[in-house]
Amino acid sequence: MASGTAGLKAAAVSRSESAPEPVARGWSRKALEAQRLAGRLAAPLWLPLVVLSMRFVLRWRIRDAGRCRKEYAKLLEERRPLLVVANHLTMVDSAVIGWGLGSALGHVVRYRGLPWNVPLQRRVLSSWLWRTLAYVMKCVPVPRGGDRREVAHVLERLAHLLRSGETVLMFPESGRSRSGRVDTEATADGVGRLIKEVDGCRVLCVYGRGDAQRTWSNLPARGETFTIAMRLVEPRSELRGLRASRDLATQVVHQLAEMERDHFEGRNS
Amino acid sequence: MTEEKIFEKVVDILKPYAKDAAALASVSLTTNILSDLKVNSARLVDVVLAFEDAFGIEVADDDADKVETVGDAVRLIQGKLA
Repeated sequence: MASGTAGLKAAAVSRSESAPEPVARGWSRKALEAQRLAGRLAAPLWLPLVVLSMRFVLRWRIRDAGRCRKEYAKLLEERRPLLVVANHLTMVDSAVIGWGLGSALGHVVRYRGLPWNVPLQRRVLSSWLWRTLAYVMKCVPVPRGGDRREVAHVLERLAHLLRSGETVLMFPESGRSRSGRVDTEATADGVGRLIKEVDGCRVLCVYGRGDAQRTWSNLPARGETFTIAMRLVEPRSELRGLRASRDLATQVVHQLAEMERDHFEGRNS
Repeated sequence: MTEEKIFEKVVDILKPYAKDAAALASVSLTTNILSDLKVNSARLVDVVLAFEDAFGIEVADDDADKVETVGDAVRLIQGKLA
């Protein structure tokens, strides 16, 4: 033990020397603005392509999409931060939810209504194609299982986006629901931290599920019809620090679990 | 509380979260909590919350972000108790 604690100062010095400093805020904001502009310019090309693929190649359909889009458009009119959180069953949930919240044309016209996504950094960095797609498709990659300071930097960027009127989509479970149901034990605290740090943040809980979806998978089945339910909440916590982040994230996940119960009891239709 | 006591308590708290028993057996201040002990990153918050309970301290998000090694945790707790 003595040798263990004797290394405390040495360990601290070597860590501070080797640890990468987070990217400066000013640079990051400019980079985000450049990314947003590139995405916006490319949107008339890629957005219809994605939607047409979902609609006519995969033959997916969203039940009562008009109602969802109308409700979402109404929420966008109020200029307060809006974080979208959703349950997570497949790798394309963000595309399906984005489509549910607005048509391709609607998103091209009101680009800020198309939420930013937070994909896994490992996947995005796996090829230049993924990097390019992620760049123009409003993605801020996040490292999983890595340095918490890097994750904190990603959250800072997301908070900046929310404050500047953009919407962000996050999945508050730590990954796709392995049981096929919302996992209230697998809460990712980042969502709570974001809600805590962005004053007046509204949270739009979105529960989406295809008729044939029994559990998690990579892709929904061809010909799938999705039901999307939405509920606006404004979580509050009397706690402080990490406990507040945990409390806020838990509230959101429990809201999604409640919406799931409603879905299966037929109350979302 | 002495550094040694804090270290022992920190290691005790980490035990149920560590997936690598061999690394836990030879734990030192330079042991990385995520990469060496294989603690799930999503559970790191639970570990820090356990530190708060065990030592009667409050840890801010920014402070928790800096905890990578067992030594970081010991140093953070020492600072809060001082």
